[in-house]
Amino acid sequence: MLSRAPLLSWLFVAPAVLIVAVMMYYPMIGTVIESFYSSSFINPTPSFVGLTVYKSILGDGTFLQIVLNSVIWTVSVVLLQNLLGFLAALLLNQHLPGQAFMRSLIMLPWVLPGVVAAILWRFMYDPQLGLINSFLVSLGLNGVPWLAQSSTALGASIIAAVWKGFPFSTVVFLAALQNVDQEQVESAIIDGAGPVRRLFDIVIPAVKEIIAINLVLTAILTFNYFDMIWVLTRGGPQNATHIFPTKIYELGFGQFRFGEAATYGVISILLLAILIPIYFFVQARGRKAAS
Amino acid sequence: MSGARMKTPGKVGLVALQLILAIVVLLPFFWMFSVSLKPATEPFAIPARLWPENPTLDNYISAFRPEFRTYFLNSVIVSLSTVVITVTLALLAAYSFTRSGFRLLSVALGLIIIAQMFPGSAIIIPIYKMMRGAHLLNTYASLIIAYVAVTLPVAIWMLRGFLSRLPMSLEEAAAIDGAGPLRTFIDIIVPLCRPGIAATAVFVLIVTWQEFLFALSFTSTKEMRTLPVGMNDFIGQYGIRYGELMASSVLISLPVVVIFMFLQRQFVAGLTAGAVKG
Repeated sequence: MLSRAPLLSWLFVAPAVLIVAVMMYYPMIGTVIESFYSSSFINPTPSFVGLTVYKSILGDGTFLQIVLNSVIWTVSVVLLQNLLGFLAALLLNQHLPGQAFMRSLIMLPWVLPGVVAAILWRFMYDPQLGLINSFLVSLGLNGVPWLAQSSTALGASIIAAVWKGFPFSTVVFLAALQNVDQEQVESAIIDGAGPVRRLFDIVIPAVKEIIAINLVLTAILTFNYFDMIWVLTRGGPQNATHIFPTKIYELGFGQFRFGEAATYGVISILLLAILIPIYFFVQARGRKAAS
Repeated sequence: MSGARMKTPGKVGLVALQLILAIVVLLPFFWMFSVSLKPATEPFAIPARLWPENPTLDNYISAFRPEFRTYFLNSVIVSLSTVVITVTLALLAAYSFTRSGFRLLSVALGLIIIAQMFPGSAIIIPIYKMMRGAHLLNTYASLIIAYVAVTLPVAIWMLRGFLSRLPMSLEEAAAIDGAGPLRTFIDIIVPLCRPGIAATAVFVLIVTWQEFLFALSFTSTKEMRTLPVGMNDFIGQYGIRYGELMASSVLISLPVVVIFMFLQRQFVAGLTAGAVKG
């Protein structure tokens, strides 16, 4: 058996460990080193500049805007996606007619490739031809240039991301809801507990670990989500929708300012690192509760 | 909250809510499909028509141009290679992680799970430079290697959830019969894991089929572009030729949607096994 063959145990994990080490950990260290160097398209030879790039970035208004955008983006998408996902899961757990059909359709936005979803929403938001403005105009209202003005661009991107992401939460929550102890629910009904009481006293406590894990997981995915914003707005207008991934790509591959891109990368990892211990904490608690 | 016991007005309300949910999910799809069937000559009406007057497949015919076929083939090659490599390596690793209790192995597993959270954008520049150094930029290999790395952690995590629920008794019986660990793995574990393998394969396929950032950064010629990057190029090239753009969107989405529909049950089971088992 494998548990008695240490060499074979390591041989089995070796390819995976090697690939993750070389393709993820080594580049991670590379990004940190890169962030202490400065290079540009005109002057491509990197020169060591220490913390200079950090200082100039931290003192820059753009940086603050990107942190703010990233926080607004992540918090809004995660909360809306999971709230909507949970409500949809409750609804699809009611044995209503047409339920089987809905359960298989609900995953469609999540399966849809990100770039396609983004193009579709760009089209939905199109000032002249888009479905949303067309609807507003038919109500006698004025159309809104959703993605072209700073005041609405980030909000519009958030809605598109929530539409794309909430089915994932729904499916995870739906699976969790099916494990809720039905006997407990039945006896609560006999005791005269209404649906709201049962939701807060039985259902939510039973699935709270899954909710916590999903909140952290979707926060990480959303913080790192590049496709939607890049295709919708390229980070514009005037940085209004730039988040870390889009800014890093623009600096690195748009302007070949690898040092600055790497500095943004390191800062984004540090911000994300706040979430990693939380993730392990909720997972450990979830496991304890499950056993 | 079982439906049978619910009073009728409440049930009607819930059915109405479900209908609203269906509209929210499906309206953008419906519109994508409708615009893809709209003749280029039919103007966009205000208010928008939800269904074209004279539906036609013209947009599909013009969308299926040679470059699109190249992108499609590239995406198929890169995605399928990644699925095969990732699932094989992940299954081997997950098996070892669930069956061997060596402490260093759990450290390795922890590090792999953490890697799942690394932002692609934050590590892409060193990976790009490595690929450039190895003369792999603008090749399938650069994308396949990067995709295997990015998908391995989640694949291991999903398969580990699945494997840890398999009873050990069959393996113990095989060991008593004198089968070595490798034999046991191939003859017993792989067949038992089929649903888990299917779920993981679907997940890896969905992720790689839509991967955008690495493909955008590592490919520089039309011959090597994958579908998402090709689509992104279309926006600039064709401006507001939305009919063609939507037809291409339908064509790109169809393969993953169909595969997903077939393997949905296994996929959801595999995903939640990972989430519950942690």
